[in-house]
Amino acid sequence: MSVSNLLENWSDFRHTHPVDDVPHNPYKWAMSIDLDACSGCNACSVACYAENNLPVVGKDKYAHGYAMHWMRIERYWDEDGRDFPDQGAQFLPMMCQQCEAAPCETVCPVGATNHTPDGINSQIYNRCIGSRYCEANCPYKVRYFNWYDYPTTDNVWPAEMNQQLNPDVTVRGKGVMEKCTFCIQRVTVAKNNAKNEGRLVHDGEVWTACQQACPTGAITFGNLVDPESKVHKQWQAQQVELAKDAQTKDKEEGGSELRGYRIFEELRPYPSVMYLERVRESAV
Amino acid sequence: MKDISEDIAWAKINTDVLKSLENPRKLYWVILLIAIAMVGVAAGCEVYQYNTGMGVSNKNNTHVWGLYIATFIFWIGMSHSGTLLSAILHLMHADWRKPIYRFAEAMTTFSLMTAGLFVAVHLGRVWQIYYALPYPNGRQVWPNFQSPLLWDAMAIFTYLSSSILFLYVGMIPDLAICRDHLHPGWRKTLYTALSLGWEGTDRQWRNFRVTYLTIACFLIPLAVSVHSIVASDFAMSQQPGWHITSFPPYFVAGALYSGCAAIITLFIILRYVFKFEEYMTLPILKKIVRLTFAIAMVWTYLNLIEYASVWYGHDQASKDVLIQKATGVYAPFWWMMNFCGSIVPLILFFKRFQTHIPVLFAVSLLLNMGMWLERWMIVAPTFSHGYYPWTWDHDQWPSLVQWGMVFGSFGWFTLLFMVFCKVFPSVSMYEVKEMVYHRSQATKKLEVTGNLAAAGKGAH
Amino acid sequence: MSKRHLLALFSNFDEAEAVVRELRSVRIKGFDADKDMIVKSPIEHPEVEEFLGDKPVYVQWFTLGGALTGGLLAFFLISGSQANFFSQVKGGKPIVPFPPNFVLTYEMFILGGVYISILGFLICAGLPASRSPLYSAKVSEDQVGILVQADEAASSTLKSIFIKHQALEIQEEAGK
Repeated sequence: MSVSNLLENWSDFRHTHPVDDVPHNPYKWAMSIDLDACSGCNACSVACYAENNLPVVGKDKYAHGYAMHWMRIERYWDEDGRDFPDQGAQFLPMMCQQCEAAPCETVCPVGATNHTPDGINSQIYNRCIGSRYCEANCPYKVRYFNWYDYPTTDNVWPAEMNQQLNPDVTVRGKGVMEKCTFCIQRVTVAKNNAKNEGRLVHDGEVWTACQQACPTGAITFGNLVDPESKVHKQWQAQQVELAKDAQTKDKEEGGSELRGYRIFEELRPYPSVMYLERVRESAV
Repeated sequence: MKDISEDIAWAKINTDVLKSLENPRKLYWVILLIAIAMVGVAAGCEVYQYNTGMGVSNKNNTHVWGLYIATFIFWIGMSHSGTLLSAILHLMHADWRKPIYRFAEAMTTFSLMTAGLFVAVHLGRVWQIYYALPYPNGRQVWPNFQSPLLWDAMAIFTYLSSSILFLYVGMIPDLAICRDHLHPGWRKTLYTALSLGWEGTDRQWRNFRVTYLTIACFLIPLAVSVHSIVASDFAMSQQPGWHITSFPPYFVAGALYSGCAAIITLFIILRYVFKFEEYMTLPILKKIVRLTFAIAMVWTYLNLIEYASVWYGHDQASKDVLIQKATGVYAPFWWMMNFCGSIVPLILFFKRFQTHIPVLFAVSLLLNMGMWLERWMIVAPTFSHGYYPWTWDHDQWPSLVQWGMVFGSFGWFTLLFMVFCKVFPSVSMYEVKEMVYHRSQATKKLEVTGNLAAAGKGAH
Repeated sequence: MSKRHLLALFSNFDEAEAVVRELRSVRIKGFDADKDMIVKSPIEHPEVEEFLGDKPVYVQWFTLGGALTGGLLAFFLISGSQANFFSQVKGGKPIVPFPPNFVLTYEMFILGGVYISILGFLICAGLPASRSPLYSAKVSEDQVGILVQADEAASSTLKSIFIKHQALEIQEEAGK
C-alpha cells in the first residue's frame, strides 16, 4: 500500500541527488568531448539525425528556429573585431547534458521527464502534453519541440527516405518535446546483452551515434562508474567530479592547467558531459 | 456626500435591480453578437492551431512560451479584485463594498474561466490535458506534484470552485427575491431551484452569516496563494529575469492592481447601462479609485525593487535581461508598461479626477493595458536573452494566431459577463438594504444623542 | 390536536422584536416560543439573533473538519503517490519533497474547508428546504415576518398579540 510503502522506505525518499544520494551503480552514462579535436564538421549532427529519426525541417523552418538538431554544432568567433579571425571559429558540440539534477525534470507537470537509475535524463513522449516548461527552464536550451506534425509534413522524409528511419526509435508526432537521449536504444541493447550473459556492459560496447561518426574521435562515451572506462579515466585525469558545483582544481591559485570543465556548473544542474577546453595557439 | 442615500425605500431597491434583469435593449444584443464573433475568431485560431501544430503561433525553440502564458497571468490577476472586495473588505466591515462586490465577484469567476482556457490553448497536446490531473489509475501514474504548473492547476481549481460557491452562497437571498418578484417563466423556475427554498428565516440567516464569514476568511489566503503560485512558475525556475525572490508579492500586487482597474471600468459601464447611479455612487467610486491608487504605488515600489535587486545583484545574466528590456527590441513595450503602471495612476492623485468618469474610464483601461504589458514583459524578454548566448533570439514576434486568441479572450469574458448581468442581479439587493438600514440606524443614534453636528460627515 | 400556522408581517425590526419578547414571556397553551416561532427577515440582522436568544451555529465545526481532512488527505495522497510513481528522482530533489507538498496541502486545506463549510451550511440551515406553509413575498422586500405554529385554540391569542404590535398583515392557514 502506498502509505505503508511511504513509511517503510521513508529515508530513501528523502535523499537529494547527486549530493547525498548513493552514487549510481553499476551504470552512470557520461561523456567527454575534446574541443581541441573538434573540427566543426557536423558529422555528429548528421549521424544523430539518422540514428534518432530527427525530422529535417527545411530551410525556412530552420531559419525560424524550428530545427530539431538534438546534437548541434555551435560556432563562436573571437571578438577581436575582424570578420574572419586567423584562427577561425571555435566549435562547441551541444546536446542534452543529461544533468544529475536537471532543472527540466522538476517542472514538468506530468512527470514526462525523469532521472533514470543509470543516470540519463529520460523523456517519455507518450506522457508529454507539450507545456514546454522543461525547455523554458533548461539553461542550455537543448530540448526541441514538435511545433508541427513532421511525419506528415512534406519533404521531411520524402518517399523512400522514410525507408531509412531507425526502427528502434519512435517517430514523434506534433506537440511533444524531445531531446538527446544518449542513444538510449543502443544503451538498452547493450545492457540487455550483458544481462543475458551475466556480466556488466564493458567499455566500448556502446557507442553513441555522434561518437561513432566523429572523424577525430573527439567524443568519448561510457560508464563513469566503471574505473576501467575511458570516460572515467578522462574525468579523473581532469579532476572533474560529478557531484560538485565548483571543482576543487579551479580553486587553486592561478587556476588549473587542466582543460576539463562543465558548462553552467555553477547553476548546479550537475551535467554529465565534460568538455576539454581548446588549446589556443596563443596559449601554447 | 454620503456613500448611499439613507432613505431609499427597500422596495425600490428590489424594483431597480430587478429591472436590470428585464428584456435587454437592442444594443445589448449587438454587443453580445460582437463578443460571440470575437470568441469565434479565437475558436478559429484554436482549430487551426490544433490541426496544424503549435508552430502556427510563431514561437520557436527559444521562445517556447508567448502571449498565451502572459495573457493567462493577466486574467488570473484580474480575478483577484473580486476577492479583495468581497472578502477582505467584508472582514474589515467596509460596507461601501456592498453595492459593488457582486459584479466584482462575477468578474473573478469569469476571468478565471478565461484564464483556464489559456492553459489548454497553450498545450502542445491539449487532447492529453487530463494527464495533468491526479486521477487514480491502475498503473499508478501520477502527475508530477513538484511542478509549479501542477500547483497552478490545483490553486486555480480551488480558487475557481470556491469563488463560484462564494458567489452562489452570497446570492441565495437575492435569488429568493427574484423568485418572489418575477412573473412565472423559465426565470422563475430557475430562481426557484437555485434559491433552495430560502425564506430568510432566522435559522437560515444565522448559518448564512457564519458561513459567509468563514469562506471569506478562506478566500483571502487562497487568493494570495493563487497568484504567488503563478509567480512560482517563474520564480521557481532558474532563468535570468524570472528567478527573483520578490516575484510572489509583486505578482499579487499586480493582480490586485489590474483587478481594481477593471472594477473601475465595469463600475462605470454598469452604472451607466443599468442606471445604477443611486447604488454605484460617486463617493464609492472615489473610494475604489483611492484604493487603486494605493495599490498602484505598492506595485510601483515592488517593480522598482525588482529592478534594483537585479541591478545590484551579482548575476550578470539577469542584469543583461534587464538591460535588454530597457534598450532592446522590447524597449517600447517595457517603457510603455512602466509609464502605464506607474505614471498614469498619478492622475488619480488629483481630487478633481477621482470622480471624473471619462478620465477614470480612460485611466482604468490604460492601467490594465500596462498590467497586460507587464506580464508580457515578464515572459518574453527572458526567452529572447536567456543564459545560453547561442540561443538568443531577439526577433520573434507572436503571430496573428496568438493575437487572435488574446483578442478572443476579451470577447469570451464579455460574453460571460453580459449573460451573467441579465440572468443574475449584479447588485446585491439584500446587502444594499443592510447598508441603508445600518447607516440610517447610525444616523438616528447620532440624532438621539445630538452628536450629528459634531460627527460631521454623519453615518458610519 | 391539529396545529395551524399564522404569519404576521411587520414593517420594522422594533415591532417584530416587541412581538417576539411578548411571545416568549407569555404562556400560551399549545405554543412554545422556542420551537414554534420563526422570524423571517429581508436582511441579515444580528439583532434578530439577540432577541431570539442564543441559538448555536455549528457550521464552523464542519469547516474545521473539512479543512483538516482536506489537508491531511492531500499530504498523504500526494506523498503516497510520489513514493509509488516508480520512485523516480526528478531534478535531484527528494522523491517526497516537502515544499511542493506543503503548497498542495495548503490548497487542499482550503478546498476541503470551503466545500465542507458549504455542506455544513446546507445541513445546518436546512437547505434545500421545502417551502413553509405560509409565506409572503413582502418578506423578501421590506417586511419582517413572524411565523408561528400553534393549536387552533391559541391562534386568537396570538392574533391579538400581533394586532397589538401593529401587524400589517396576518395570514392564516386554512382550517382542515
